[in-house]
Amino acid sequence: MAITATKTGPDRSSADSSHTTASFDTLYRDHVDLMYRFATRLCGESEAAKDLVQETFLNAYRGYKAFRGDAQVSTWLYTIASRACMRMRRKRKGEPDHELSLEEFIPTSDGEFRLQIPVEGLSPEEALQNKQLRQALDQAIAKLPKKYRMVLILRDMEGLSAKEVGSVVGLNERAVKSRLHRARLFVRRELSARGIAEPEETHNGHRLTHRGA
Amino acid sequence: MVKRATAQSARQKPARPHRHGKGRCVAVLRKLSAYIDDELPGTLCAELRKHLGGCPNCEEFVASLRQTVTLCRHQPTPSLSATERARMRDQILKAARAR
Repeated sequence: MAITATKTGPDRSSADSSHTTASFDTLYRDHVDLMYRFATRLCGESEAAKDLVQETFLNAYRGYKAFRGDAQVSTWLYTIASRACMRMRRKRKGEPDHELSLEEFIPTSDGEFRLQIPVEGLSPEEALQNKQLRQALDQAIAKLPKKYRMVLILRDMEGLSAKEVGSVVGLNERAVKSRLHRARLFVRRELSARGIAEPEETHNGHRLTHRGA
Repeated sequence: MVKRATAQSARQKPARPHRHGKGRCVAVLRKLSAYIDDELPGTLCAELRKHLGGCPNCEEFVASLRQTVTLCRHQPTPSLSATERARMRDQILKAARAR
């Protein structure tokens, strides 16, 4: 990997416990928020996300001496977390982990070419103040087969390069891009299949009552 | 939630046929992420842009894919409280030493 180390492992000759705890504390303090964010994106719900964070740092603690510093610490942690996540049992039964083919994403009717969501003239931050839209996006991502979800989250949400994603999930760049493309098309289709109202107008089909009342 | 089948325009008429065949559609579809990520070589990019200019459906499709990626990039996530952060640290260290 062409990435230079931003941090290296602890001095391997001094493996005393207090040193290890101090190194761990630095590692934990600097990266726990990053890992928690990644975990909530992967698992959706906060308890499973916390489990994944703990599992990740526990594995990192145990493997710290073997960490060679030939990758960024964050990339190393992403790798540990993604492996732990792939091992975690699927909670929802029947979650499909099938291959996605490009053909299935070709729209068959006019309404499917665009998103039926209120984003016109809004910045992404403003558009995402719409709770219904945030939930629809979360649900679309959660519905993705795991291996596609992993790549989409790492690349489009965590902002890793395709090469870095490849090193985390053990794929070449070309395979990462192919998987990412299908994942994006899947999420796009899920969003286009839903009509999301302007936040002020309706909520579950009912008129919203006055907020301040 | 409104289902796909109830989308206003889709109800009246079946799919408006594309000016190009399905094979061409897949060929275009295949390149769209590379297109929006600016990773297509110049000639391919120009070719695709030319196609999009003449095909409103594909143009809309690209816009919606771009919107999807933008929304993913900006989707907010909750953060940990200081108490939770400390509690989890203690649990991890406890588990690490329990071996």
